[in-house]
Amino acid sequence: MNLSQFNRILRQVFLLPVIALLLMAVALYLQIQGANSTVNLIQESNARIAQVSRIEKLILNEESGLRGYENTSDDRFLQPYLAASSSLQAEFDKMQTLPGLDSIEKHYLDDLIEKHQIWQDAFALPVIATIRAGGQVRDVDLNLRGKIMMDDIRQDIADTTHNAEQRRSARIDLWRRQVRQMEWFLLALALCVGISIGLFALNRLHAVSSAYKTSLDVLGRRAEEIFQSEQELRTTLASIGDGVITCDAAGRVQMMNPVAVQLTGWTQAEAQGQPLEAIFHIVNEKTRDIVENPVAKVKRLNRIVGLANHTVLIRKDKTELNIADSGAPIRDRTDGIAGVVMVFRDITLERKTQDALLANEKLAVAGRLAATIAHEIHNPLDSVSNLLYLMRNGASKEESEQFMDMAEQELARVTQISRAMLGLYRESKAPVQVDLKEMLQEILLLMEHRFSDERVTIHTDLPSSVSVDAFPAELRQVFSNLIANAAEAAGPGGEVRVSITPQKDGLTETGIKQEAGATVLIADDGAGIPAEVRPHLFQPFFTTKGERGTGLGLWVSRGIITKHGGSIELTSNTDDSTHGTVVSVFLATKPTINAGGD
Amino acid sequence: MPEQSHLVLCVDDELIGLKVRKILLERAGYRVLTAPDGSAGLDIFSREPVEAVVLDYSMPGMNGGEVASKMRQTKPHIPILLLSAYMGLSSDVLSMVDLYMTKGEGPPVLLQKLSSLLQSSSDA
Repeated sequence: MNLSQFNRILRQVFLLPVIALLLMAVALYLQIQGANSTVNLIQESNARIAQVSRIEKLILNEESGLRGYENTSDDRFLQPYLAASSSLQAEFDKMQTLPGLDSIEKHYLDDLIEKHQIWQDAFALPVIATIRAGGQVRDVDLNLRGKIMMDDIRQDIADTTHNAEQRRSARIDLWRRQVRQMEWFLLALALCVGISIGLFALNRLHAVSSAYKTSLDVLGRRAEEIFQSEQELRTTLASIGDGVITCDAAGRVQMMNPVAVQLTGWTQAEAQGQPLEAIFHIVNEKTRDIVENPVAKVKRLNRIVGLANHTVLIRKDKTELNIADSGAPIRDRTDGIAGVVMVFRDITLERKTQDALLANEKLAVAGRLAATIAHEIHNPLDSVSNLLYLMRNGASKEESEQFMDMAEQELARVTQISRAMLGLYRESKAPVQVDLKEMLQEILLLMEHRFSDERVTIHTDLPSSVSVDAFPAELRQVFSNLIANAAEAAGPGGEVRVSITPQKDGLTETGIKQEAGATVLIADDGAGIPAEVRPHLFQPFFTTKGERGTGLGLWVSRGIITKHGGSIELTSNTDDSTHGTVVSVFLATKPTINAGGD
Repeated sequence: MPEQSHLVLCVDDELIGLKVRKILLERAGYRVLTAPDGSAGLDIFSREPVEAVVLDYSMPGMNGGEVASKMRQTKPHIPILLLSAYMGLSSDVLSMVDLYMTKGEGPPVLLQKLSSLLQSSSDA
């Protein structure tokens, strides 16, 4: 049942009793009208009876006045007669004009008037005239006739009165019947209307009630579903392997899952309602600066944010964990921020693994160079020991000088190689000025032999020195890696080109602001890298070299270049005529070293 | 000093090393021919009556193993001493040569090994 149906029922339940009561009122009105008209008739009968009794009184006054006059012959006794007689005609007229006279009553009245007229004309007036003439009216016959006439009149009056009284009692009976009938009618109507209103209301309310019950059921089911889904979400949150903290829009903690409790060291009860920064105290691993509160960051940027690298969470007991985290806004219906959910995890172990991988890759780079180094050191050593042997076994002065010169040259070579080798491992705490040209030349020197072994030709375009601030050991690792990759890709008979293009600060032709620095290009004319492989090149453990590769080279290289605030890009072409791969590395002269870049 | 000095071919891309080795072997009484790479070495090997070869392994273009296998195809009886800066060469390569030594082991070892090779080849 929807709301309009419910409203219709409400209207029905309201209107039906009103209509029923109106109908009842109409019926009652009609009944009362009937009873009223009967009462009118009764009143008419009463008026008639009263009129008749007035007439009777007047006639009696006439008779008794006349009798007094007969006895005394004094005019004063005649006065009542005269008075009655004079008003009698008016009373008769009044009687005749009374409403509701039927023919019988008319007949009685006409009879009465006529008999009274006869009595007056035939008895009263002659008696009065006789007395005035001085005659005697004590004649028995005469008086007897008068008496008979008067008796007749009296009889008539009595009949008329009786008749009227009969009618009145009949009307009263009628009225009583009507009233009783009305009582029954009222009772029946009240019962009918009451029962039908009751039944109708019951029926309607039944409909409402069943609809209400249905709604309750639906609500119950919904509530159950919501409860279930909330339980599911809770279970999901609780069983998620990462720490989850939700905050309201003001950044106060609302919920923490068990992992979050474990990682922060704060219980849900302690943390509830606290500002996030109170329990989620994060600092930069290296600088120890306080890292921006993720809630503030999400609100500021109004999007999902990742946390800066090298973030350390200081737990309640002041122990520290390396964490990675992200924050996401919880949207309300108007797309505003209703809260923030933060997901974070302990990456301490991950960091150690990553450090181990980086060290591993460094060793691998060194290992790849080891063969070259053995060659480069053993060859001069061999010459030197041969020269010493020759000198020991009797050489002339000139010969000895010549041998010593040669030995010195060879030793200088060893020194140079050993320096280049050490450069790969020399760690510096702070960036130093590195001459890219010198560095690339050293690396190429170390690898020279390998190139000639593999019959790879190297072309260099290294202009006057270009210096950048950098960690030299790390850059050596990157360039050794990239050049070795290029040589391998070029293959026997192939070519590798290494060049440096210095860049001044200012605007490019397209108006883009550029930093001072240099771009190192390492290009080979190998087969090129298929497009489907390219996106994976900078991922860890991805290698196209099978057993021979660690799959870490480019991943580590990119990390190092990013740390140096530079960029590394790879373009490749597998066309038949123009195949080859170019890796370009941009390094700024005065970069912002991003310690957290790897 | 042998009555008739043996003719030895030295092949190495290390020019100073090659020059010093030539002087050393000449002082030891050998006649020495030198080649700076594998193809030049093969050329001399086929032309001259070389009695022994002192071959460097790591060379541009063609390594010592390849050079040795080509020499074996033409004159299998000529002894070959392989010199290398590397440790642990593969057994395929070692099977091509009569003796093998690492650079830097010192001139006495070289002279002793070369003379033993020539001894055994003349015995054969």
